[in-house]
Amino acid sequence: MKSMEVIKTNILIIGSGAAGLVASVYAGQAGADVFVIDKGAVGKSGSTVGAVQIASLGAWSQPEDSVENYLNDIKESGRGLSDPELMNILANDLSTRLEDLIDWGLKLDLDENKEVAVFPTAGHSVPRSVSARKGKMGLAIVQTLIRKVNSMDNVRKWSDVITLELVKTSGHICGAIVFDQKTNTPYLIHSNAVILATGGIGQLYPITSNPAQTTGDGFSLGLAAGASLIDMEQVQFYPVSLVTPHSIAGLCISFYHYSKLYNSRGERFMTAYEPEFLENTTRDKLAIAIATEIATGRGTSRGGVYLDASGELDKVKKEFPHEFTLCTDRGIDLAKDRAEIGPAAHFIMGGIQADGDGATTVPGLYVAGETAGGLHGGNRLGNNALSECIVFGARAGLAATAVEGITSAPPSNSPQSKMTDLFLKKIQSPTNGHIRPHELKEKLQGILGENVGVIRTNESLGKALQQLKEVEVELEQVKLSSTGVYSREILDFIEAGHMVRTAQAIVGAAIQRKESRGAHFTTDYPQMSSETYHTIVKLDDETMEFGTSPVKGGDR
Amino acid sequence: MEKLSVKIERANSEVVDLFEVDYTKEMTVLEALEEIYRHHDPSLAYRFSCRTGLCATCMMIINGKPGLSCMKLAEPSTNGFLTLAPLPKGSTIKDLVKEL
Repeated sequence: MKSMEVIKTNILIIGSGAAGLVASVYAGQAGADVFVIDKGAVGKSGSTVGAVQIASLGAWSQPEDSVENYLNDIKESGRGLSDPELMNILANDLSTRLEDLIDWGLKLDLDENKEVAVFPTAGHSVPRSVSARKGKMGLAIVQTLIRKVNSMDNVRKWSDVITLELVKTSGHICGAIVFDQKTNTPYLIHSNAVILATGGIGQLYPITSNPAQTTGDGFSLGLAAGASLIDMEQVQFYPVSLVTPHSIAGLCISFYHYSKLYNSRGERFMTAYEPEFLENTTRDKLAIAIATEIATGRGTSRGGVYLDASGELDKVKKEFPHEFTLCTDRGIDLAKDRAEIGPAAHFIMGGIQADGDGATTVPGLYVAGETAGGLHGGNRLGNNALSECIVFGARAGLAATAVEGITSAPPSNSPQSKMTDLFLKKIQSPTNGHIRPHELKEKLQGILGENVGVIRTNESLGKALQQLKEVEVELEQVKLSSTGVYSREILDFIEAGHMVRTAQAIVGAAIQRKESRGAHFTTDYPQMSSETYHTIVKLDDETMEFGTSPVKGGDR
Repeated sequence: MEKLSVKIERANSEVVDLFEVDYTKEMTVLEALEEIYRHHDPSLAYRFSCRTGLCATCMMIINGKPGLSCMKLAEPSTNGFLTLAPLPKGSTIKDLVKEL
């Protein structure tokens, strides 16, 4: 194979949601040359744009709120799996990071008294969620950051470029092999450090609140580069997501704390599961309750339950105008109709193991945002995704700036992973196969949806593992019927490869956890064990290894 | 099954492609495009991400007017066709995909 063109930079940031863009800005301000790439459009792809609010601490906080208070809520929610160091950093750094964003032009939504509007969120003991652009916090944050990035000459953006693998020299990360979809050209980006900020895994499931890009690329890339994944079985299902209509299936209904849930018998079933908090409980408990109702035959024919928001419609309209309008536009009149809802894949608490600076165990490899694991433990509190992104994106960006690079360029003609090798061969002989890549993606989604959802069993996990092995074999039998520039088939193929590897990590981790904790619920071990441990996944010479490790700070 | 006739004015192509797509009730333009990619033409290029009207990457000309393909319902105009084209401003990478 001939050599690839080499592009040089100090820091390569993969992913341009809040975490990747915050990292870009802080690294850029510290003087680094930064390349921020995205397989979709920079600043317009990924989960950030869909986020409604952010948990906050600031001048607007309620008098009873504090760093300690916030910390306690996260700790309680994490079910013993949250890393104490990461929780401390989040709670302590948050207000400063928000102040920076406000300095750069972010305008928080105000209430009728022209004060910053502070909203309650389930699982938070005090109202502390704020928003911008009328309930479009994520969008407001990326727009603020893109403006900032555009003003910096040393930060370059590159859209429509997907990463095939990370590259190492002498055990140190020194860049990545990427594929430019606009020209169908592979490149080697040579950098001192790489920050993975590729978001989550929603697209590994048939119904998800996540956007199209969330195919778990970062977990797959990190594993192949030698990083460890922690608690990958901890997949949060947003408990209250639309089941129908198809066009917006998976849409999160953020106003469930203002709603009443009913099963097909007309019973308000949360009175049995959570008599004190009812629907206003944490997401893991709510998802398990709803999934149990559905699994025991008290759901709707489409596999959902009913949501009635008519009692608090004014608050819904005011605080969640986007969701309210979307429902209305698609024929759900919340004043008189009950919406059909169910759990949808929403967020992965597990991820690449990293320290408080986002540094992984692989020198030169950093991680931020949803791709990082360990902060949220067994359950992420609502509105804590964006706070994680802005706090740890900044720290990863600054830490990566300090990395001294490897001066010698990596070899530019030898892909190190089996997957890149397969891909480069496949685009040479694209029609040598019989399965379209999107069919393989849908097959994988079906496997995880059926076997690795809210309620799991030993049998279902074993079945998933077996079926995923078949999908892995089928990757080699893919046929690419369209290989021109900007080919969706090529994108689907690369994504399918990352999806298979990440799905195997999730299922393997779930098999390791022989208890029910947080978002991992199995009917074979329905109780939480007295021993608290993390599940760990590593990839050694293309073989996935699974294990457990003790938690920091002792059992809970 | 009910069919929807979709005309796509693809960038850099003299030909306007016509697809007869299986129509489902309340289908969006984006769902019609997904149907074409899956069952009619695997080379069709179009952007989308959030599917809920926030990211705006799926903006295109729909029956002569700019709109988000994830938000507009797939409906024929008075001529009987749902007609799609890339936005006129800026450079087009392929088909309905603009440089962003």
